[in-house]
Amino acid sequence: MLVSSIEEGTVIDHIPDWQANTVSRVLRLDKLAKMQADVSVVILQNVASKRLGRKDIIKIDRWHVDESDADILGLVFPGITVNYIDEGKVSKYMPRVPDAIEGRLRCPELNCISNTEREPVTTRFATLKKERMLQCQYCDALFDFDKVPDHVRT
Amino acid sequence: MGPSVDFLGRDVVSARDFKRDQYDTILRAVEDLEKSRESLDGTLNGKLAALLFFEPSTRTYSSFQIAAEKLGMRVSGFAGPTGSSITKGETLHDTVRMFEGYGADVFIIRHSKMGAARFAAEVSDVPVVSAGDGSREHPTQAMVDLYAIKKAFGRIDGLKVGMLGDLRYGRTSSSLAYALSNFDVEITFIAPEALQMRPEVAHFLTQRGVTPRTAAGLKEVAGSLDVLYVTRIQKERIPDPTEYEKVKGMYEVNLEALRDAKPSLKVLHPLPRVDELSTDIDETNYAQYFVQAAGGLPLRMVLLNLILGGAR
Repeated sequence: MLVSSIEEGTVIDHIPDWQANTVSRVLRLDKLAKMQADVSVVILQNVASKRLGRKDIIKIDRWHVDESDADILGLVFPGITVNYIDEGKVSKYMPRVPDAIEGRLRCPELNCISNTEREPVTTRFATLKKERMLQCQYCDALFDFDKVPDHVRT
Repeated sequence: MGPSVDFLGRDVVSARDFKRDQYDTILRAVEDLEKSRESLDGTLNGKLAALLFFEPSTRTYSSFQIAAEKLGMRVSGFAGPTGSSITKGETLHDTVRMFEGYGADVFIIRHSKMGAARFAAEVSDVPVVSAGDGSREHPTQAMVDLYAIKKAFGRIDGLKVGMLGDLRYGRTSSSLAYALSNFDVEITFIAPEALQMRPEVAHFLTQRGVTPRTAAGLKEVAGSLDVLYVTRIQKERIPDPTEYEKVKGMYEVNLEALRDAKPSLKVLHPLPRVDELSTDIDETNYAQYFVQAAGGLPLRMVLLNLILGGAR
């Protein structure tokens, strides 16, 4: 299956097979539609891969995924690679585990102050790297990196 | 007791934030105050304490209010949502900002949401003392509890402490577990599976090298304990009503349940009690809960004095 290369944008590679939709959710790609941006997205699923056997790939033409978003993706899929394309040149970005994630996730604890309507709270989660968990800096609730897609703010 | 840099200006939002020597300092200062009851009177003359109780409270509110007043502070705020602008929908954020504008030197906050105290501490430039936030923590109660244990045994190290009841949603239990992790104690959590300690509390204790035991009922451990900390199991916390009826009896503390207990056992309870702690214990040597409650006032005086840098 042939998909033409892109000159500007982002290619997210080594996504575990059939997980592209989760990546799309974490990156909130649906927001692009609302922005009416001149952006094209190609999602390839279950593609043959030397490293993984099968994998998914997402190509986003004319849009750069934020490094902080790439880092959040890396929590869920540690083997993922993010390639930024500028004027046809590829630079690889290996997501890193940040010390904290601010504003992008919702706390799983419904009774947390950060889930209170009208209180101007910016959510903040510390990463517990060894345990592969996040901890809310307000209510202390813990959740696994794997659960991040369930708690992405829409 | 002069101002201490360890405490000056700091928030009290979690029992995790204090170390052993800081707990020792607080407990020693409360002992001193109990020996010389007027020694801190007026040390914070003219300062303003804002008591913002978004949830109703009688005992905690009163003990903070009297503590502040004995220290010479003026007190403003509200003891519950009724009659305050909270019923009109004013946020915690705006309330804190407003009272800061009125010149509050310290906030004492109770709120139904977990993490409210920490959020208030971010918003405020002056210290915030949590008087309980949702089912997360109640750090000053943990200090009161430590003091009651120390008063009964002359020490905390070396004791076997059982914590019984709703450990998952009981904010006093979480804070006490955090505080006890600074001492050489053996902790047993006595609760039905659904009401055992929250994962974050268990995780913190593990990080601190504390491995609490768990027990499904009091009977199996009653004979080994030095301290039994009782909290209430609220019916609405257990999804299945028949399950509640089944477990209820296992967590009622009365003379019969303490048949195998050591004569030196001390029973603590943050109060108010409903039916989990029988009045037939009140006149026995086990009862430490009224002594415990009385410690609330000097403890809170000491704490406010330490963080606001009162003299003496």
